[in-house]
Amino acid sequence: MIRNRAVLLAFRVVVGGLFIYAGALKIADPLGFARDIENYRLVPGAIAFLTALVLPWVEALSGAALVIGLFKRTSAGLISIMLVLFIALVTVTMARGLDVDCGCFGALGRKAGWTLLAEDALLLFMALEVAFSRPGRRPPPS
Amino acid sequence: MFLTKRTVREAGLVVGLSAVLGFAVNAPLVVRWLKGDLDQGFAAAKTYPGIIQITLAEAEDLFAGGKGLFVDARPSSEFREGHIAGARSLPFATADERALADLASGIGPDHALVVYCSGGDCQSSLALARLLAGRGIKEVRVFPGGWSEWTAAGLPGEAGE
Repeated sequence: MIRNRAVLLAFRVVVGGLFIYAGALKIADPLGFARDIENYRLVPGAIAFLTALVLPWVEALSGAALVIGLFKRTSAGLISIMLVLFIALVTVTMARGLDVDCGCFGALGRKAGWTLLAEDALLLFMALEVAFSRPGRRPPPS
Repeated sequence: MFLTKRTVREAGLVVGLSAVLGFAVNAPLVVRWLKGDLDQGFAAAKTYPGIIQITLAEAEDLFAGGKGLFVDARPSSEFREGHIAGARSLPFATADERALADLASGIGPDHALVVYCSGGDCQSSLALARLLAGRGIKEVRVFPGGWSEWTAAGLPGEAGE
């Protein structure tokens, strides 16, 4: 685990900032995001719609909380859970050979693919570091 | 241990607040959804600024009149196997700034840009159209029927680069 405070702060700003950005783009375009979710063809329309309304706010709020340092560990934990879901989703989608827009950053569409997986994995690493590290202290004996 | 009472409470707060905000901000949309207004699909309920969806007949007209500049959004391997005669290949997966700028500079004033992919429910044509529209190209047309509808109608195609 990384315990350097400056590094952890940088992780929080990068991950939180990206989630604020991704959330805000989708908040601005709920129908577009609902369509993106539907394109993955994993959930019925009603669930796609409700997810499209709520998930962008979870992204933006936990991103904001992470950046300002409120609920640091919890928001990093929430973001990690979302990233695990995204990674699973992209993996399943690639395995099924679907041609879909990932829906990650609204209209800045990209395809679900390897680079996306790599980026998500990097973000997940940073989020987990923030969620579990004990900055500046010795880790508790286990 | 990560899952403490505190983290659960905080997570509940963030998710709950998100749900409240999500519903409050989109109240009119929720009403439309409950009325069944969105049952025809979210894409149909939403219009993308600057993007026009066209039918096979319209695509054929543009093709026959020589007015259409057809852009193939599929991967280049599929493009080589066969594409609408005279179409240019711009795979969505590799569409970078330069490729987009190249295409944008090649559009004449009388040309109508028509983006297509394999057809069915392929998404790359609309995604590419959104990129192009985002670059300020006006009236980007998307032909959702795509390559499959084009060949099924017996319209001219060609293979190779």
